[in-house]
Amino acid sequence: MNEEEPRLSAAELIERLEPSLAPRRRVRAVAALLAGLAGTVFLAALWGSEPGPLPGRTNLAFALFTAFCLAWAGYGGWLLGRRVPLFATDRVIAAWIALAASVTTTAIVAVVAAQRGSGLGVALSTGGLFVAVSAALAVRAHARRAALLRRKRELTGGAES
Amino acid sequence: MTDELLVVRAQLGEQPAMTELVARWRVPVWTYVRRMLDAERADDVSQEIWLAVVRGLPRLREPDRFAPWLFMIARRSVIDRLRGQYARERREFAAGDVVTDDPVEAMMDRAELISALSALPLLEREVLVLFYLEDMPVEDCAQICQVPAGTVKSRLARARRLLRAHLEEKGFRR
Repeated sequence: MNEEEPRLSAAELIERLEPSLAPRRRVRAVAALLAGLAGTVFLAALWGSEPGPLPGRTNLAFALFTAFCLAWAGYGGWLLGRRVPLFATDRVIAAWIALAASVTTTAIVAVVAAQRGSGLGVALSTGGLFVAVSAALAVRAHARRAALLRRKRELTGGAES
Repeated sequence: MTDELLVVRAQLGEQPAMTELVARWRVPVWTYVRRMLDAERADDVSQEIWLAVVRGLPRLREPDRFAPWLFMIARRSVIDRLRGQYARERREFAAGDVVTDDPVEAMMDRAELISALSALPLLEREVLVLFYLEDMPVEDCAQICQVPAGTVKSRLARARRLLRAHLEEKGFRR
């Protein structure tokens, strides 16, 4: 029997894996997740802090926009969970972007709530939760990256490659 | 450069390391898949395995255990294709085989082995491919096939017996 060979060469195989490895796709996934979450929080805060009863059509519009943002967040989460790998360095960057987005969204929502005079507590506690989660993710991502860098140094005998 | 270093670098996000890992393990993975499946499906399944590897690599906790992890993924993809056949053979194996603890020592001629492999049942074929063609230690075969090491040894013994019978039969007829 002849020794067969794979039909795909190494270069062709890498090319087919490219979509999963492309940085653009990772950026898109992180952006979709964060923008979706930030949008959801922002809209929910606006909606919740509206003074007085709203007309049905406005309620419907708020609900639609919130659902739209949730869908983007879901899409981003699905991409990151199932489709796009986030390597250690990507995770550090993503966690910092998440922290920045959480702080910014919290600040904007808190300012809006303060101007309207209602919902400041809810805005701060929800925003605080997001900030805490993204800070925890950042700490974890840094620790993981540091551990990998340490192992890399051990394996290369201290020489940077 | 060791596999572990390549994996660590790939996990950090260094794309050349990922490329090197694919280049290094492309043929072994394909060989395993090809010995388990027909030529038509081998390339597609190999590609599917590599996609799963790329997606799962950031979560691999033991970079020094890359090869067993890689073949566990490969085996999962192969099982997906042969689900019915695996289940049937597992039942037959459990019912009909006496577990022996033969030491695995005799190395077989590669070309002969490859030609005779396709005649073997799946469970025996997969340990034979992993052990002889991929040079995996018994412990790694056990981890990949998710069975105790003793079962791997008994499957190897049975596989060798079947192979011997097959080859003798061929020799007799010649």
